[in-house]
Amino acid sequence: MNKFSWYEAKSVEDALQQVNSTVSEELYQHTNKATVFKSGGIDVFDWVKEGLLQPEKIVNIRNIPGLDKISYDQKKGLSIGSNVTLEEIASNPEIKNNYLALHQAVNHASTPQLRNISTLGGNIAQHNRCWYFRSVDHQCRRKGGDRCFARHSETGENENHAIIDNSSCVSVHASSISTALMAFNASVVIINSEGEKKIVSMDDFFVSPAKDIGMENILTAKELITEIILPAPSKNSRSAYIKEVARESYDWSLADVAVVVEVSGNTCRKASIVLGAAAPVPYRSLEAQQAIENKIINNDNAVAAAKAAMAIAKPLAKNGYKVPMFTSIIEQAILQTT
Amino acid sequence: MEDKNQGSDPKKTKSITRRSFLRGAGLSTAGSVLLTTNTFALDYKEQLAAGKEFGPEAMTIKMKVNGITESLSVEPRTTLASALRDHLELTGTKIVCDRGSCSACTVYLDGKPVNSCMMSVFDVGDKEITTIEGIAQNGKLHPVQEAFIEHDATQCGYCTPGMVMSCVHLLDTNTDINLEDVKKATRGNLCRCGTHPHVFKATLSASKKTT
Amino acid sequence: MNTKKEKFPYGIPGHNLGEIEREIPIEEPPVWPVNDKLKVIGKRVTRIDALDKVTGKAKYTSDMKLPGMLYAKMLRSNVPHAVITSIDISKAKNLTGVHAIHLIENSPKEGEENTKGKYPMVKYVGQPLGGVAAESLEIAKDAIALIKVNYEEKPFVIDMEAAMEIGAPIVFDEPITQQEDGGDVGEVHDGSKGQGNVRGPSTSSFFGGPRGDLEKGFAEADVVVERTYRTQVHTHMPLETHGVVVDWKPDLMMVYTSTQNTNNVRNEMASIFNLPKSKVRVVCDFMGGGFGAKHSAGSFGPMAANLAKKSGRPVWLMLDRQEEHLAEGNRPSSKQYLKIGAKNDGTLTGIQQRSHGTAGVGLGAGVGRIAQILYSCPNFATEQYDVLTNAGPGAAWRAPGNVQGAFGLEQAIDELAEKLKMDPLSYRDHIDKSEVRKVERQRGAALFDWSRRQPAGSGKGVVKKGLGVGQSTWPRFVTLDSSVEIKIHNDGGVEVRSSVQDIGTGTKTILAQVVAEELGLQVKDIKVNIGDTFFPVGPGSGGSVVTGSITPPTRNAAFEAKKELLNLVAKKWETDAAELFISDGQVGHNTDTELKMSFKEATKLMRTSQISKTASRSDDYGGFQQPWGLAYGDLGSVQFAEVSVNTNTGFVKVDKIVAAHSCGRPLNIGQLESQINGGVIQGVSYALYENRVMDKSTGHMVNANVDQYKVPFSMEIPEIESIIVEEYSARSSTDAYGIGEPANIATAAAIANAVYNAIGVRIYEIPITPSSILKALNKVS
Repeated sequence: MNKFSWYEAKSVEDALQQVNSTVSEELYQHTNKATVFKSGGIDVFDWVKEGLLQPEKIVNIRNIPGLDKISYDQKKGLSIGSNVTLEEIASNPEIKNNYLALHQAVNHASTPQLRNISTLGGNIAQHNRCWYFRSVDHQCRRKGGDRCFARHSETGENENHAIIDNSSCVSVHASSISTALMAFNASVVIINSEGEKKIVSMDDFFVSPAKDIGMENILTAKELITEIILPAPSKNSRSAYIKEVARESYDWSLADVAVVVEVSGNTCRKASIVLGAAAPVPYRSLEAQQAIENKIINNDNAVAAAKAAMAIAKPLAKNGYKVPMFTSIIEQAILQTT
Repeated sequence: MEDKNQGSDPKKTKSITRRSFLRGAGLSTAGSVLLTTNTFALDYKEQLAAGKEFGPEAMTIKMKVNGITESLSVEPRTTLASALRDHLELTGTKIVCDRGSCSACTVYLDGKPVNSCMMSVFDVGDKEITTIEGIAQNGKLHPVQEAFIEHDATQCGYCTPGMVMSCVHLLDTNTDINLEDVKKATRGNLCRCGTHPHVFKATLSASKKTT
Repeated sequence: MNTKKEKFPYGIPGHNLGEIEREIPIEEPPVWPVNDKLKVIGKRVTRIDALDKVTGKAKYTSDMKLPGMLYAKMLRSNVPHAVITSIDISKAKNLTGVHAIHLIENSPKEGEENTKGKYPMVKYVGQPLGGVAAESLEIAKDAIALIKVNYEEKPFVIDMEAAMEIGAPIVFDEPITQQEDGGDVGEVHDGSKGQGNVRGPSTSSFFGGPRGDLEKGFAEADVVVERTYRTQVHTHMPLETHGVVVDWKPDLMMVYTSTQNTNNVRNEMASIFNLPKSKVRVVCDFMGGGFGAKHSAGSFGPMAANLAKKSGRPVWLMLDRQEEHLAEGNRPSSKQYLKIGAKNDGTLTGIQQRSHGTAGVGLGAGVGRIAQILYSCPNFATEQYDVLTNAGPGAAWRAPGNVQGAFGLEQAIDELAEKLKMDPLSYRDHIDKSEVRKVERQRGAALFDWSRRQPAGSGKGVVKKGLGVGQSTWPRFVTLDSSVEIKIHNDGGVEVRSSVQDIGTGTKTILAQVVAEELGLQVKDIKVNIGDTFFPVGPGSGGSVVTGSITPPTRNAAFEAKKELLNLVAKKWETDAAELFISDGQVGHNTDTELKMSFKEATKLMRTSQISKTASRSDDYGGFQQPWGLAYGDLGSVQFAEVSVNTNTGFVKVDKIVAAHSCGRPLNIGQLESQINGGVIQGVSYALYENRVMDKSTGHMVNANVDQYKVPFSMEIPEIESIIVEEYSARSSTDAYGIGEPANIATAAAIANAVYNAIGVRIYEIPITPSSILKALNKVS
């Protein structure tokens, strides 16, 4: 890692005074004068170790008081502080009882060691794992270059990449926890350097590369996530999460899906279906939602919803397998909610 | 049940004698090649003082490792793994992937297993570190260590410290474990020799002995 | 030569155990009975260095810290093919904390390409160009980042099949010689034959050349299987990377290194720096895995030595994970064409094999000799070609060649059995003449319950189960240049000394067992000091040679030392030494039970403070197949695999492996099981997960880390049951052999056969991934 100085932030405002760049901006601009913050630091240190991010200063927000609470209220719903670790979420019984798909997604994520370090804020704000993006030797579009190496129809090593919305950067978002959060209609609470608070739905938090290749979410250098909030689940809601990986031990998602439904009897009244590792950002499948809403949850309708979700898929040269894989897990996840 | 929690309880004062070790380490630590800007080590309060900036040059800080307070000269970019290995010569902690993907660098931070390669030494603050060297107490091995020997759960041995740390933590926090639990506890531990089946067997057998 | 005739146990206990008489040199120790009748040998003795490992106290090369030691980092190319026009080190030189910089200059050896420039030509990404030694690793890395290399880039080729085409960019303009650390053990690869990037073929081996008449063989065949199989490049990824600490003292170069071959590293360093062997000492106490890639000093060894020389300080140089993937070896890929013919009764009539593989810029991409020797077939021919590409060089990787070869052969045999309407296991009974594999098939099938196997693809439901089998053979290689010194000290201490190293297989422990058995002591009484070239030369840890090469001289030296000690006791007791024995730490007399003395007491009778005996590996009893050390017999195995395949997601899981193995006289059951587990797990990894992914447009490996280079972790580990078949062949004083290579050969083929049995479609390429399963099932459009 390059030499950097370390600033121990005392508050959110204090941290925001210091910081002058997001990691995405710095990866794009290479000023080597950035001050960025880190919470658990796994993603930030990864970039610094690769030599792609050479910050002048790192602002540690991990010890800012008040960002490490989980609170649940039957009416208000769930609030998870941005510094809460993945392990704390995985072992929280209220999350398991009321937000099963989130529990499953967190439980499936990462290794025991990393889960004790990684925070939820850092997890949803982490950067994609495209191996070209992560390589100092490939100056891709997200880093200010003019090529997408992964897209190339003959030489692109794109087996892990996007099958939906892949006309620009073909990476997939790395956080499979976000898949579940979005399905629960979670929102991100963000504070800016003026002390203003805004609440952004997960659906609006992520930024598609087609819109802006230089960022993966809406955060600017002067903004910080303080909590993630989830509405209270309705009495008749059920959820399921499935992730397909090359290895079960721990791995990045090849295809994952979170399904949250509200049912009356066997009929799906409302459906929230989100796909992970399908598109550059977690992808809400309106197609699947529409196909299953107001239908009885059964095999045929689940298959129809899964097929509807995949009808828009445009696989690259090496990731065609994701289409039948998604079809299978969307169907299974819908059926698991019955 | 006496043995329970010995490995990871941060509050329990470690009585391990490491004077002889420190004597051995003294020479090369004193000859440490990094520039030191502060003569006296910052105490924990100063290290954690919010609103303060440290580095980028090396400075002397304090860190509690295996019950002993150590002073060491480090930069903010010094990882915890490097601090333990290169500065304190606690080389049982191994660096294999250097990216948090193999868990060979597992240490406990206030009793919880973490990847020491993915943390700055400035992340530690007043939290207590336990390394593989601090698992045996007064020369008495942890039941997991004994079982690793008995069931031949080592081959080249390079993953072993990390494996032991994962399995000790499992047993110290759970009384009744099965094969799935051991697999989950070690799912981040890379081993290339293929010791896993014997690691599973050893840990299950150690659990029977401790309950 | 004085000889004696002795009767040895011969055959397989529980099957055909008998006796054989051999005429052997008079000085050889008496015959050991079968393991049942021994005290230490063949038992579950715990590893003597396990305590150091579980407490974190074991010191590996990477853990070394010497007074004043500097940390080094290597400079490597980041383009795949180029002429270096200049290297600017001025900024790096001026960085505070930098003590030495060394650049590799062009000095072609005979037969190598001479590019006439100041620096060697760059042929692959990650090629070493130079190094920096500094006061910390971070400073060394900072300095490397400040060095500017200017390249004149040239066209390159990464893909093997593209490299074979006419007009492809040429990797080497001239003939090349076999690289020191090639990928295919014992084979001659001729880099001077062939055209363009395609070199070879290699058509013969120590088992001979082509035999019979293939055309006639196929004409006689009623059934023919003709297929092409493909295997990937995979890298070794030992947990401890390659590396070295060099402390160049005025009269001695001290080299601490993570190696499988201290002796070879010593010889290389002596030769490179023009030093007598006596002035280079290589030490490897603990090492973190090698799997074939760590036999050489590489370029990091000389680099560290040059930096040590320039700086006058000890230098630590360990590679990082990326460097390890890029430049320190891999198992070459293969594309194998196989044609096998058989008569309706199953008799093989012809085997034709043609393979191409790439070991990057090196040679050695063969598919071994398994097709040549595993089954009896009168007509056989092979052509094995190396294809040069702009990628890191291959290196021996656990059972080099045979692992690739078994993947093709054992699937083809399965397919042939199916065509012949025979069970694949009983078909192997028909064509495999090996007695030990017959026993392995029987015992393995019983434990695995082979009888539950259903016809291919007949399972119901989404997740389908499949069962498969695969076989292996590996030669019994013996390194004749294997010596051991045994010392008995006058305080009762016993010491074993050799340059042989323990790479995690448990060599230290088996040496202690052999000596303890011979001296009537316990394992804890024996101190094993190995991995040091100041001691007698031992074998390299490769090719499963160690046990068969080093345990006989270890026993023989212990026997000689014991004889000398017992002579002293006999003199004191005024009796015949031939009547004396040592058992349970006591010297006793065969007939006079009153006479007793502890071993420790006996050592006090010595006139000097020690008895020291050195022995070297004698020839096998009854001789060798080849005088250089190719022994009779083989090291075979039969492995059974049970898999589950999700036909909707393509997810494959190996549920269970039963591995039936033989290694002559088993020495340590626990350690043998460990090695079998390791071979099997690496085989699972090869079959399903790992793969070097290279971008063909840039020449870079994109998954050169642990995260994206997929190997199994705990949840991917199948249930593994091993069967170790004792097999006595009366070939040496221990009659024991290794198991490292055979454990790794059959697994991928057994898994592929099981996957076929599950889904009814055969997959001819590894790794078998969700993508390949879904494609095979026609689910990917």
